Amino acid sequence: MNAVFQKVYDFVDERIDLKTLEAKMMNEPIKGGSRWAYVFGSCLLFIFIMQAITGMLLMFYYIPSADHAYASTQYIIHEVDYGWFILSYHFWGSSAMVVMVFAHMSQVFLWGAYKKPREMIWLVGLVLFVIVMAFGFTGYLLPWDQRAYWATTVGVEIMDKTPLVGDFLARFLKGGPTPGQMTLSRFFVIHVMILPAALMGLAGLHLFFFRSAGPAGPFRGTPEELKAKTDFFFPRQVWKDIVAIAAVFMAICALAFIEPVQLLEQATPDPGDYHPEPEWYFLFLFQMLRWKIFSGEFGEVLGAVAIPGMFLLLLAALPFIDRNPERNIFKRPIALLSWTVVMIGILVLTVSAILNREFLE
Amino acid sequence: MAHPVENISSIKLAWAVSWSAFWTGFPFKLIVALLLLAGQVHPWEGAGLVTLLVVSVPIDIWAVGLTARTVFLERLGMEVRGPVGVSLWWEGAVLGALVLGSGYYAVGTTVAVGQKIAAAIIARIKNFYPKLPIAEQITLELLLWTIPAAIVLLVFVLVWLHLFGWRVKRFVMTSGQPSSASLLERVRQWDYARVPADPTLVLVSFAGVIVTLTVVFWVLLPVTTPTPHPDYPLPQVEKASKPVKPEELIKKTEANLEKAEAVLAALEKEKSKETKKRKGK
Ligand code: HEM
Repeated sequence: MNAVFQKVYDFVDERIDLKTLEAKMMNEPIKGGSRWAYVFGSCLLFIFIMQAITGMLLMFYYIPSADHAYASTQYIIHEVDYGWFILSYHFWGSSAMVVMVFAHMSQVFLWGAYKKPREMIWLVGLVLFVIVMAFGFTGYLLPWDQRAYWATTVGVEIMDKTPLVGDFLARFLKGGPTPGQMTLSRFFVIHVMILPAALMGLAGLHLFFFRSAGPAGPFRGTPEELKAKTDFFFPRQVWKDIVAIAAVFMAICALAFIEPVQLLEQATPDPGDYHPEPEWYFLFLFQMLRWKIFSGEFGEVLGAVAIPGMFLLLLAALPFIDRNPERNIFKRPIALLSWTVVMIGILVLTVSAILNREFLE
Repeated sequence: MAHPVENISSIKLAWAVSWSAFWTGFPFKLIVALLLLAGQVHPWEGAGLVTLLVVSVPIDIWAVGLTARTVFLERLGMEVRGPVGVSLWWEGAVLGALVLGSGYYAVGTTVAVGQKIAAAIIARIKNFYPKLPIAEQITLELLLWTIPAAIVLLVFVLVWLHLFGWRVKRFVMTSGQPSSASLLERVRQWDYARVPADPTLVLVSFAGVIVTLTVVFWVLLPVTTPTPHPDYPLPQVEKASKPVKPEELIKKTEANLEKAEAVLAALEKEKSKETKKRKGK
């Protein structure tokens, strides 16, 4: 067995220099040694691969037509062997992706890993963040139930408010005056073709930049201490990544069991007594838009477009504004305070949105 | 020279031990919870909860022992021969029951009182600003009672960390001795303690465990949806046999036939026109 394996290995090695490749991949030095804090990026890659696999399985049965999307999703849930589990895994996997992207961003922010010479990793990362959110937004429509239809209607209406490009964007996504077959087709293509291709390409670029700059390492410790602790990617960081990935996998499975996906009624252009609501990770924004200052024509543009847009721009400019090489988060009070305020703000607004459900008549 | 243990705050030491111990034990508890769920037992109530708690005890003892040992080596340069987990777990658990038990009560009281006060403040505001919009009211009220509750919770957690850290210090001072190893050797020691030394063996056994668990998992997993949600039942699509109404059917057919005749006549007319044209040429 071993001999056969060795032969195959030698065969490949002779042709593509596997040994060098292996050494390059696995022997990446990590300053300060392996850490649990570095697992988030690998977890994101894992979640994405699993979304691709479960997504392809779902596509074996799903029909992206306004007439059949709902029925085919019901069929997946109730008839296809293990269909309920694959769909629920895919659903909870999307939430896990968003949670993990926030965790990864928080880690690199708190560790000051966006600073020189890692600005380009950070910028590509921000695009990846937008892609992850776009995955959530487009995937939400596909089951074509009331929840899907109305969240999309509201979402596209909000997009419509953007100055200059809003009208075009909304018409492009809707493909007609009201959400219908064209909308479903376009969301489907964006969700299963454009975004996956974009994510794969940009994640590759992200990793290429990461390997070029090298990992940032811990934000404190004397140079001699860091040198003493320096370790290779394999085996200890690989081990930590694998354990974290296993935990993520199990957590998603557990959620799929506890709360499997269930559909509301099929989408109709009449909301009835259903109150549109986006996926939970957009709730904080949705709740903020209910504030008085964000009502009216100008207020809506301010809350829905200007503030989130400015926030993203601020994040993009961050490595160029914050040029202080200090990486220790306990010596960067403004950074620590801003991060805490943003996180608590998102949490409080999300809970407020849930409490707000009771007051909708 | 001061003992290195004197230089670290109890809270930091307790945090370093308990935070990593929590995450060290977490994946193993997750495995148990997942297997329970796949067998359709809820791990948050009844027998499932009891099973999870009982299994958690040895996991936690092991995790606390492991992380405490590595923290001692890395941060304090101390080594403990003999078991660590049992005594630390025991003290942490007793302190936890005492401090966090009373903390549960205190936070509960703060929440109850805080909610009343918050409601009163909101009512006051509404007195002179009756148009206070609902979204702002919700967030304001939420902040008014969660901030004091969060502070009380934080205080109790800090008290527990402080007390636990004090016990951990006592433990390492009485049962540990300074490690004679250099920093480099110590780093190797604590990292190897947390991550298995033989990578190939580990990866192979890891893969083996995954395969076994996967098989168990798919065997236990129900094929169809285990919990049809009571609120959203699967709509039973009725193959409704429409009642046949002969009169309507005849009328409809007649109307259709008339339409078809009209179409036919129009077509014939057109055709004759065309032939006429051609003849005219
Ligand atoms: C699908 C989304 C993403 C994937 C798959 C991904 C993947 C990775 C991986 C595998 C690493 C290697 C080290 C580590 O895991 O910490 C990494 C590092 C990094 N990522 Fe991402 N990432 C994503 C999104 C983001 C986002 C949204 C940001 C920030 C806006 C970001 C910023 C960074 C930075 C600055 C590093 C360097 C960290 C260091 O040197 O310690 N990434 N990413």
